[in-house]
Amino acid sequence: MNATLERLRELRQQAGTVAAPAAAAAMARPCEALARVPAPRSEVPAHIRRLLGLRERLRLPQPAPALPSPASDRRVPGGEIEDGLYFVEQLTPWADVPPAIDASFGKLGTLAREHLLHFDTETTGLAGGTGTRAFMIGAADWQPEGLRLRQLTITTLTAEVAMLRHFAQWLGPDTVLVSYNGKCYDAPLLNTRYRLARLPSPLSGRPHLDLLHPSRRRWKGRWENCRLGTIERQVLGVVREDDLPGSEAPRAWLDYLRGGSARDLRRVADHNAQDLRSLAALCLHLAT
Amino acid sequence: MPPATQLAPHRHATGLLPVPEKTSQALASRLGRKYGDRITGCFHLPGREGEYAPFPDDLPPALAAALRARGIERLYSHQAEAWAAAQRGEHTVVVTPTASGKTLCYTLPVVAAAMRKQSKALYLFPTKALAQDQVAELLELNAAGNLGVRAYTFDGDTPGDARQAVRLHGDIVVSNPDMLHQGILPHHTKWAQFFENLQYIVIDEIHSYRGVFGSHLANVLRRLKRVCAFYGAKPQFILCSATIGNPKEHAEAVIEDTVTAITRSGAPTGDKTVMLWNPPVVNPDLGLRASARSQSNRIARLAIKAGLKTLVFAQSRTMVEVLTKYLKDVFDHDPRKPPRIRAYRGGYLPNERREAERAMRAGNVDGIVSTSALELGVDIGALDVVVLNGYPGSVAATWQRVGRAGRRQQPSLGVLVASSDPLDQYLVRHPGFFEAANPEHARIAPDQPLILLDHLRCAAFELPFLRGESYGPLDPSPWLDVLAETGVLHSEGERWDWIADSYPANAVSLRSVADGNFVVVDRTDGRQKIIAEVDYSAAALTLYEGAIHMIQSVPFQVERLDWEGRKAYVTRTHVDYYTDAIDYTKLKVLDRFDGAIAGEGSCHHGEVHVVRRVSGYKKIRYYTHENIGYGPVTLPDQELHTTAVWWQLPQEVLEAAFTSRQAALDGFLGAAYALHLVASVSVMAEARDLQKAVGSGDGAWFASSDGRGRGQLRGGDGKPMDPAATDQFVPTVYLYDAYPGGIGLSEPLHQRRDELVRKARALLAACDCRAGCPACVGPVLAADETSTAPPKSLANQVLALLEPARTGSGSVPASGSGSGPGPAGRVRRGVLP
Repeated sequence: MNATLERLRELRQQAGTVAAPAAAAAMARPCEALARVPAPRSEVPAHIRRLLGLRERLRLPQPAPALPSPASDRRVPGGEIEDGLYFVEQLTPWADVPPAIDASFGKLGTLAREHLLHFDTETTGLAGGTGTRAFMIGAADWQPEGLRLRQLTITTLTAEVAMLRHFAQWLGPDTVLVSYNGKCYDAPLLNTRYRLARLPSPLSGRPHLDLLHPSRRRWKGRWENCRLGTIERQVLGVVREDDLPGSEAPRAWLDYLRGGSARDLRRVADHNAQDLRSLAALCLHLAT
Repeated sequence: MPPATQLAPHRHATGLLPVPEKTSQALASRLGRKYGDRITGCFHLPGREGEYAPFPDDLPPALAAALRARGIERLYSHQAEAWAAAQRGEHTVVVTPTASGKTLCYTLPVVAAAMRKQSKALYLFPTKALAQDQVAELLELNAAGNLGVRAYTFDGDTPGDARQAVRLHGDIVVSNPDMLHQGILPHHTKWAQFFENLQYIVIDEIHSYRGVFGSHLANVLRRLKRVCAFYGAKPQFILCSATIGNPKEHAEAVIEDTVTAITRSGAPTGDKTVMLWNPPVVNPDLGLRASARSQSNRIARLAIKAGLKTLVFAQSRTMVEVLTKYLKDVFDHDPRKPPRIRAYRGGYLPNERREAERAMRAGNVDGIVSTSALELGVDIGALDVVVLNGYPGSVAATWQRVGRAGRRQQPSLGVLVASSDPLDQYLVRHPGFFEAANPEHARIAPDQPLILLDHLRCAAFELPFLRGESYGPLDPSPWLDVLAETGVLHSEGERWDWIADSYPANAVSLRSVADGNFVVVDRTDGRQKIIAEVDYSAAALTLYEGAIHMIQSVPFQVERLDWEGRKAYVTRTHVDYYTDAIDYTKLKVLDRFDGAIAGEGSCHHGEVHVVRRVSGYKKIRYYTHENIGYGPVTLPDQELHTTAVWWQLPQEVLEAAFTSRQAALDGFLGAAYALHLVASVSVMAEARDLQKAVGSGDGAWFASSDGRGRGQLRGGDGKPMDPAATDQFVPTVYLYDAYPGGIGLSEPLHQRRDELVRKARALLAACDCRAGCPACVGPVLAADETSTAPPKSLANQVLALLEPARTGSGSVPASGSGSGPGPAGRVRRGVLP
C-alpha cells in the first residue's frame, strides 16, 4: 500500500468509517499487556486513533480542533522576559485617588491605597480541578501618577512556573488582594497552580477584598445580573468597544498556542486590562 | 489454595445423625427425614477451632485498651498475621470468610499509624452503606479508647461545607472508587496535606472489582499512585477479599505490585451442612416441578418456627417482597408486635436500611429476605440458616451467601433451592459438579484500550505527563500523542498538558449503570412522602403505571410515572396480586466496521443498537400464582449504543446442514453459549460485561431460550413466532459490550474470531458431558440427555460451519489427561492456552 493510500485509510479510520484490516497484532495486546509484556510501540497509534474515533462518535461528541493555518500575526502583547513569558506594563492616569479607602463594606477596615493589588486571571476554562490553568495574570496597583497595570502572559506551558514566580514578587507583606469573585475562582485556581508547581502560594492567608459580595448586597435585583460587565456599565458608565467576551478567552489562547493568530490574544489582554480598571474604579466607588 | 481447602465440602460418611432440637442440625435431619427425595446432594463442612494470638507487643497500649474495652482480649491468628505483614511494610490481602473479623486486620495498623505518626489512610468500599458501617465502627473503637483518631465518610452525600474539614482533619477518609475518580483525584491539590501523609490504602471486597469494573479500579489506582508520588508518598495497600479462585493474583493485578496473601482464617466456625434441594414434581406428564419460591418459603417457615435465625436470598426485588409477604402472613399477623420478618434490598431509603440492619444486629428479627445486597459485608449479626431461592449464578457467590450462616461454634445450615432454570436444574441433577467446582477466578484487563484511553485523559488532567514517564506497566506516549492530535492535550516535546475546557472524569463512569435515581412518592390521602428510591436500570421494570410496588411487602400501586422528572406517584392499595414486567431485548446493527469470512459464513464487528423494552405486565395472584390479567406499558425504550462482534451462516448452508430450522436455532443458542464463555475469558471480561444474543441478521426476530432448553423465536413486537414462518432465516450470534458507548471488547474479539471458534469447538470436544452442560453449550434438560440430536451436537455443527479450514494439525485436545474432576476444571483447561 503506498503512502497516500495509507494516509487516506488513516483519515477514514479517524472519521470512523472504515476499519483497518492490518491491526490484527495490535488487537491482541490487552492480554499480552496483562502478562506485563510492554507493548511494542510502532503500531499503536493507528489503532488508538480508531478507538478514539469510536469513543468520540459514541459518547463524547466534540468537534476536532480546527487546525489554524500558520498565521503571520504572532505579536503577543509586551516583551518576552523569559522563555515563553511576556510582560506588559502600562499606566492609566487617574486623578483624585484618596490615600486610603474605607473597606468596611468588605469588613476590612481602612486600607492604604498603595497596599491594594487588584488582580484578575484569564484561564483555559471553567471546568475547575487540576486541569484548568491561568494563561494570563493581570494586576493593578496605585502609583502616585495613576493606576499601574501589569500583565503576564504565557505562550508555552513550561513558562507557567516563571509566571507564577513573577506574580509572587508583586505581593508584599502588606498587600491586600482586590478581586471580583476571586475568593471562589481566581485564588483557589492559582493556589492549585502554585501547588502543582511546588511553589508556596503567595495568596494563601492574605486579606482579600472580593467585590462580588458587596456588589451583590448593594445592587442585587437592580439589573439582570451582578457580573462585573453589568456593574461597570450601570454604575461606572464604562462602555467597551470591540470587547472579546471572557468566554472566548480560552479559545483565543489555544488558537495562538497551536500556531494561530495573536489578534484575539491581544483582545484578551485588552479585556483583562479593562477588567482591572473597572475593578479599581468599583473599589473606590464602593468605598465612598 | 487454602480458602478452597477450607471450604471444600466433605460428604458426611454416615448421613445425618440425630442432634438436639433447636439447632440447625436438628432442622437438617428433620428435613432429611421428611423430604429426603427432594435433597439431591448434601455436603458437610466440619467446623474449626479458633486459632488465637495475643495482642502484638508493638500494638499501642491505648489501642489495646480500647480493644479490651470492647471485649476483645486477643486476636485471631489471621489478624495477628495481617498486623505483622503491615508492620513489615508489605502490601497485604486478607482472604477469609464473612464474619471472621476482617476489619481488625486493617483497622489495627491504620489506627496505630494515625496515633503514632499522624499518618492518614484512605478506605475504599464498593458501596456507601458499607462505608457508613465502617465509620460507625471506627468511631466506636475511637470512643472506647479515647484514641483521638478522626474518621469521616467522603462521598456524594457529604455536604459541601463539611468537605473542607474532611480534607484537612480526616485521619481516615472512607470513600468509594467512584468518588476517588471523580471527586478527589481531579482536585488533588486540595487534598495535598492528606496525600503527603497518606500511608495506608484499604480496599475491602476486592473480589467485587472484576471485569470492566475491576479494570477501571486498577486504572484509578494507577492515577492515585501517580498523585501520591507527586506528593512524595508511597502508600501501602491492605486489601480484603471474599473467597475467590485467585485472591493473591487478583490483588496483584489490581494494585500492580507484589502482595502477601493471608488466607488461613483463625476464626472458629461451627459445622456447616449444605443441601441441594429440588422442588418435587407436581405434574409428571409435563415434568413440571413445584416452584422454588414455595419450597424456600416452606424451609424458611420451618426454620423460623424452630427458633432459628434465617436469611433467604431471592434473585429479584419483586421476589424479595413476595417471600417477605408470605413469611409475614405467618409470623407478623399481629400488628401490635414488632415485626419478626424484614425485607432488605436496594431501593429502600438509606435510613430504612440502617434501621433494618440495626434490628437484625440486635437479634430482633427472626427472618430476613434479601437480594444480593447482603452478600457484601454488611453487619447483620449471626444467623443459623440461609436459604438460597435459586442458584446465584456463581460458585463464589453461593459460598458467600451460605457463609452468612454460622455463629461462633454453632452448626449452621445452607439450602440451595433449585429454580426451573436449566442451570439450576443441572446443578441439582449433578451435585458433584457443584461439590468439585472451585470458586471462580476474578479477572481484569486494565490495559483494555478504551478504558486506558479514558483514564489517560483523566490522569493527564490531574498531572501533566512527562516524556519517559510510565503509566502502570505501559509507555503511554503513543496514546498521549493521539490525544494531543485531538486537542485535549498539548505537547511541548517533553511533556503533555491537559488544555481542554472539560472535566474528563465526569465523562467516564466506572460502572455500567446509568445514574438518575427515581423517587417513589406516596400520595395516599393527600400525603407527599418519599418512600423509596429506585435506580434507573430497575425503574422501567418496577415503576410502570399499574405496577404494584412493595415496600416491606406493603403494596403500593403506581398511579403515575413521571419519566423525565424521575418520579413515581403511588398510593397504598389492598390487592391480592403482584405484578411482573414482560420485557425483551432486541439488537440492530447500525454500522459494520469490518468483516471477514468465517468458515462457510461470516464474522463482523461494528456498532449496534440494543433496545430493551417493557411491553406489558402480568398480574399474578398471591399463593396460587395464576395469571389473572395483563396490562400494557408504554415507556421509553432502554437504549444502549455499543459495539458487537457477530457470526452468521447463510440460509442455504443451514438448510443443507440441519433437518429443521428449530434444530439450527438450538445449535446457534448453544454455540452462542460456548462462544460467550471462551470470549469472556479471552478478553478478561465478566459475563455481565459481555452479553450474548441470538437473532436474525436483519433484526426481524430474536431468539431466547424458553426455559426448557429450546430456542424460542420472537418478532420485533416481542410476540412468539414460528421459525418456519419467516421468509428469511439468517440466525446470528452477537456478543456485545454491555456498556453505554462500548468498551471496545468487540474489536479484539473480531481479530481473534478464528481462534474463538476453534476454542469453542475444543471446549465442546474436551467436555465429558454427552448432551450439553453449563461448562460448554449451557445446561440442558433431562429429556435432552437421551436425545439423538442433543444441543451439544447441534452447537458443534454450527461451530464447525463457522470454523475456518484447518491448515495446521488436526484436532485440538487442549491438554491431555484430566487433573480435576469437575467440569469447571475442564473449562479452564480447555480455554486457556
